[in-house]
Amino acid sequence: MNTYTFDEISVGQTESFTVRLTDKEMDAFREITGDINPLHKDDAYAAEKGHKSRVAFGMLTASYLSTLAGVYMPGERSLIQSVEIKFSQPVYPGDELTVSGEVTEKNDTFNLIKVKVSVRNQEGKKVLKGSMQIGVME
Amino acid sequence: MDRSEIMERITEIFRDVFDDDSLIIKDETNSEDIEDWDSLEHINLVLAMEKDFGLKFNLKEVGELANVGEMADLIARKLQEK
Repeated sequence: MNTYTFDEISVGQTESFTVRLTDKEMDAFREITGDINPLHKDDAYAAEKGHKSRVAFGMLTASYLSTLAGVYMPGERSLIQSVEIKFSQPVYPGDELTVSGEVTEKNDTFNLIKVKVSVRNQEGKKVLKGSMQIGVME
Repeated sequence: MDRSEIMERITEIFRDVFDDDSLIIKDETNSEDIEDWDSLEHINLVLAMEKDFGLKFNLKEVGELANVGEMADLIARKLQEK
């Protein structure tokens, strides 16, 4: 886990990690949230809607932003204040996702950073894009 | 920039941050008057004002403000010092 202090972070700094989104994560997310929508569970249903298989929960993909902030940028001192995102492309179970963030702004009045975030699949397609505002605790 | 211009720009910033074009901002307006004005939105207001007016505040200054009028006074003072 990174332990960046506010002063150790620079505008332009980047962090990223890769994760495979599997059925195990899908099942756990369904169990936690109670989102039993068939689009995320039933291949035949998803096919009827024009997808190659059941679709991963968008909010499951987004949940890796928690890891981006809490483990990578800034890591231990993270306090997420806001997240604004768009889901650009569907994610399917089995996809390998690369979660990336780049610091675009620092504010030393409140010790916070703004981070441009994106998630790309194994084909390099951007499946999620947005920004986060993260406090960097003392 | 005179004080009424500062208040006009502050009003625009409030309307933008709270996404509400009907907001009426007066000197005596404070966080009790706007339901969504919590600690996080306070940070966003200050960040937006720093950008808009090209100023830098410190935590003590913005922590002592009791209402929008005091914020406008602080901005006017800082603009004069520039």
